[in-house]
Amino acid sequence: MSVSPFGALGGAEPPPFRLPGSHFAAALLFFVAGGAGLVWAAPDLSAASFLSPRVTGVTHLFTLGWVTTAIMGALYQFLPVALEREIRWPGVAQGTLFLHAPGLAAFVTGLTTQRPDLVVAGASLLAVGVLLFTGNVAGTLAGAPRRDMTWWALALAMTFLTLTVVVGGALAANVRWPFMGASRIVALGTHLHVALVGFVLLVMVGVGHRLLPMFLLSHGATERPGRWAVGLLATGVALLFALHHTPGAWARRVPAVLILSGGAAFLFQARAFYRARQRPTIDAGMRTAAAALVVLAGAAALGGYLGLTGFATRPHLATAYVSALVLGISIFVAAHTYKIVPFLVWYHRFGPLAGKAPVPKVADLYSTRWAGAAGTLLTVGTAAVAAGIAFRQAAVTAAGAWVFLAGAAVEGVQMALVARKRPS
Amino acid sequence: MSATVLSADGVREALRSVLDPEVGVDIVTLGLVYGVEVEEGRVTVTFTLTTPGCPLRTVMTQSVTAVVYALPGVEHVEPNLVWEPRWHPGMMEKETWNKP
Repeated sequence: MSVSPFGALGGAEPPPFRLPGSHFAAALLFFVAGGAGLVWAAPDLSAASFLSPRVTGVTHLFTLGWVTTAIMGALYQFLPVALEREIRWPGVAQGTLFLHAPGLAAFVTGLTTQRPDLVVAGASLLAVGVLLFTGNVAGTLAGAPRRDMTWWALALAMTFLTLTVVVGGALAANVRWPFMGASRIVALGTHLHVALVGFVLLVMVGVGHRLLPMFLLSHGATERPGRWAVGLLATGVALLFALHHTPGAWARRVPAVLILSGGAAFLFQARAFYRARQRPTIDAGMRTAAAALVVLAGAAALGGYLGLTGFATRPHLATAYVSALVLGISIFVAAHTYKIVPFLVWYHRFGPLAGKAPVPKVADLYSTRWAGAAGTLLTVGTAAVAAGIAFRQAAVTAAGAWVFLAGAAVEGVQMALVARKRPS
Repeated sequence: MSATVLSADGVREALRSVLDPEVGVDIVTLGLVYGVEVEEGRVTVTFTLTTPGCPLRTVMTQSVTAVVYALPGVEHVEPNLVWEPRWHPGMMEKETWNKP
């Protein structure tokens, strides 16, 4: 035989299973905790108390706990094959999780129990962990042989994640040593958008540009909207950050228009991939991803309206917008988890047997019916939460939060079962 | 037991047992096999994957090698993974593509 099993073929090999696997395990725990926290924080959300300890704590369970931890795990798996470059410092990558996860637990506990010292301690651990992550990704990107659209999207995303940490650190310090005064709200809005649009959405655009055609078999679809999305989103977020203390409505409206245009370009790109697909039957993960994009389109429309007309006088709509944005992104990540985690298990446990013994397909590792149920519960829950907040219907918000929690629990249990799959 | 003559068509048929685990369709139907050359007991399989960023590079190469090696008369397998021409959906065998 000319090729030894799993021998190197040139290019970089993915990291050991434990690196992305441990990140996804931690992320899923935060996801279910976030779902439970959503139920707990539902009364505050209904009252548009977006600065309440419960809301800020639960928001970070989703953004830093679920979304960011899952992105870390996904990038550690994705970068070597996409960039043909191994992770620059794999040992640091594993160690980062041991700063990030406990740091987040301490930070959220400090926020929700209103213990400023714990907030600062947790934020410090988080900041070190996230900066080590961005440094590791930057080091990996620096060695990549090509600089394509995905490379630029990820490089810009890491830049904005660093800025997110800077503003977030200032906000955390403000909890312990108040110094921001009324400008705290502006800083909070900047922190949120730099994180969700500058970091998360740019990762979604860059990684989705590679993964969506692969999952949908839609190679050959136009890729121009994706390039526009990267440019517009990055410019919009950079201006938002640079102008966030500048007086005048134009300083909000110009970034808002750019970000909205970038979001629309991303949605056009995703639509082009879905329309060009050669797989008429879309699997549960890709159906859930499509549902998440619809939720995000709704959030973008509402955010655009508020960005152009002002957030301050419409706290319920502003809270509904942020809820739909955070939960919509969470669903998009949940959808891709159904693609990534079963693949990881298949690749590391069943892949070595391929060609030598019968092996299952990736989709055989989980129940597609339950995966569809999870996607439906998450989407319906999000819609109900956002609608309940916007229309001041506390019972609808609470019911939506329970439905979302059920979806997160179904996905968590399914992924735990997938992780136990081994060749018989 | 009848003797089986090793042929390119036979190798190609055998490669229909190699599935893309994500898509759930074999690599011949997907149009990923660009060529099969048989020279006495030596078999060269030129194939590609759906995308250069495909993480299945090693697994698929190993699988192709193992399946061909199991055929009677094969003494050496040369898996030749190429990225040019780049694969596109138009390369799929439409007649056997069962729309997964």
